Amino acid sequence: MSDKCAKKIERKLNKLKHVVFKETGIQCSQNPTKNIVICNAGLVNGLSEETILEYFSPYGAISNIVMLPGKSCSFFSYVSIDIAREAFEATNGKLTVAQDNKPVYLLYSEQLPESTYSTKVWNELPPGLVILENFITEDEEKLLLSLCCFDNTVSNRMKNRQVRHFGYEFRYDNNNVDKDEPLPEKIPKECNLLWNRLHESTQWKHFIPDQLTVNHYSPGQGIPHHVDTHSAFEDLIISLSLNSAVVMEFKKDDRDICVQLPPRSLCIMSGESRYDWTHGITPRKSDVILSKSGTYTLLKRGVRVSFTFRKIRRGECRCQYTRTCDSITKNKSTELEISASEVEKMHVISVYENIAAHFSETRSKPWPNVLEFVNSFDAGSVVLDVGCGNGKYLGKNKHIFDVGCDTSSALLEVCRKNSFEAFTTNCLYLPFNDCTVDGVISIAVIHHLASEERRLQAIKEMVRTLKIGGRALIYVWAKDQHKNNEKTSYIKQDRKNRKKDEDLVVAKENKEASVLNDSGMSLPVHVNRTQFKHKDVLVPWRLKKENKIEDTFLRYYHVFEDNELSNLCLKLDNVEAEKYYYDQGNWCIILRKTSIKIG
Amino acid sequence: MKLLTHNMLTSKCMKGVSIGYPLAIKALDIRTVEVDFNPEFVAKMIPKIDWTVLHGAAESIGQTDLPKEVVDNYENNEEFLKKVHHVLLEVDVIDGELICPETGRKFPINNGIPNMLLNEDEV
Repeated sequence: MSDKCAKKIERKLNKLKHVVFKETGIQCSQNPTKNIVICNAGLVNGLSEETILEYFSPYGAISNIVMLPGKSCSFFSYVSIDIAREAFEATNGKLTVAQDNKPVYLLYSEQLPESTYSTKVWNELPPGLVILENFITEDEEKLLLSLCCFDNTVSNRMKNRQVRHFGYEFRYDNNNVDKDEPLPEKIPKECNLLWNRLHESTQWKHFIPDQLTVNHYSPGQGIPHHVDTHSAFEDLIISLSLNSAVVMEFKKDDRDICVQLPPRSLCIMSGESRYDWTHGITPRKSDVILSKSGTYTLLKRGVRVSFTFRKIRRGECRCQYTRTCDSITKNKSTELEISASEVEKMHVISVYENIAAHFSETRSKPWPNVLEFVNSFDAGSVVLDVGCGNGKYLGKNKHIFDVGCDTSSALLEVCRKNSFEAFTTNCLYLPFNDCTVDGVISIAVIHHLASEERRLQAIKEMVRTLKIGGRALIYVWAKDQHKNNEKTSYIKQDRKNRKKDEDLVVAKENKEASVLNDSGMSLPVHVNRTQFKHKDVLVPWRLKKENKIEDTFLRYYHVFEDNELSNLCLKLDNVEAEKYYYDQGNWCIILRKTSIKIG
Repeated sequence: MKLLTHNMLTSKCMKGVSIGYPLAIKALDIRTVEVDFNPEFVAKMIPKIDWTVLHGAAESIGQTDLPKEVVDNYENNEEFLKKVHHVLLEVDVIDGELICPETGRKFPINNGIPNMLLNEDEV
């Protein structure tokens, strides 16, 4: 190497030394160690483990590779200093595998950085996974490969591979099969030897599949991580690898297990590995393999064909892996929707019908901040009151046209007596055209909706009816009735709370009962005039006649945490929050509609 | 139900209905209520409403005083504004029904209150 050239490299390395230290905290030097730092190439500029192995393993066995996401340097270790030195001298400033075929610049380091992402585990299997090597002979492999020729037609070409289905078509749009529409082409009978062998040599004595998917992977192709849909297939799934080996990764939470699938091996997935672990193949041309001796080697991929056999499930999946089970999630969401609407019917809509007259008597004084909002609209504005109740905010601004709506016809009768316009509707859908009103108010309404989806749906509806630039005011009851150490009037109305100024009364546990309603949902009954202990509660309404309690009704409330209302509203991307405030035990928001698009 | 309210109501939230507007009116009892005339309010309301729908709705319940088109320079035409005021705010449909133009679904009006509630399977 010429002096000029050597000096150039040295200058370069001095600079890179600082960059590596800044990026990774690793001190590099020119004193040989087993650890080599590639200072100018890493994941961020296109270097891969495969390239490192391809070019550096010819010098000797590599025992570790650390590549950090987002970094432009990489680290690897040889099993001895001598090998490291030899490789270093042969490649530093010469080997052109850095970005744009530039040479790599190397240094040594005493240690490798902690790899934060690569927690890949080898020589271990997820629970329920079995690999049977040499499950078939080479002749049988040839026979199976001949069953299925791929003709490159568009229909069987996937983005990453080619596929063919037998028995039933696996649909990639919904990750399921049409169980009532079997394909004319059944699983070829040549495959029968596989389960005969399985029945003989394993615990799975009865497995006979009725669906086969053949995948054809060229080098560089892979399959994204997935769990085979629970409701589509039974527990056991077997997959035969033909012609070339590949590394399949199994992931669950932060665990990542690499499993080598040699040609002619059978991979058996059952139980946890089938239901709760994802599996996938990284699209690349060769695999990095950690051998049992603890060194990394590169395994070039050839064309690999896999035969995956599955048994169609009849009925729903009943596994215990709730997180990944589509049968469970499907049931849960419909059940929740039904019970939310049942709770509202029983503990909101019918209660207001029953208490309307008494409720209306006690709801005459408008809240000043709501009134101020109503009065802020110009002459000729149209304002919709969603959940208007007895209409205490209607007709207050004489220059606007305001209409109320509510589910309770008994309360709307009160509106009519006062000559207010009103109609009956549920706030989940408003019978108004898009972009028709200048303002919406919804005071103490959406806390009566029994699921977050429904509360969001109600807000979406209000925003939909607003003109662009129109404003909505929403009030909901706050869980915290003691904000800034000030008791709200709701709390103060309790005599005990009025007397004592210290701690506010929190209901004693034993005073609270739970009510199990018809839909099987159990809700705590709140003790009136006390701080809330739960977010979803039943609040008693005592119907009085001549000051005597005649009947008690339980109203459902979802009381809101500090930022819950604003977070919910801002899930819509066509509104902005103009003001968010706490007003006498309520969380309040003023929204402005910014565009037609509904988020 | 005033015709101004009718001008904004739709059945579009129903399953299978795309526009649901305007709703037809079948009126069994119509009353006239006196409302203070506010020419500024009426003039501001005119550009906001669907005039064709208002005109059609008024005709369908026997209010034939409105011209087919909004007159020019209506802001200063008190006679015209009074007519509009009357049709928009003073005519009150007490009993009858609103009918979805696409499905024929009927929404009853009782005591002046249209019932737009839908069954769960209609949404």
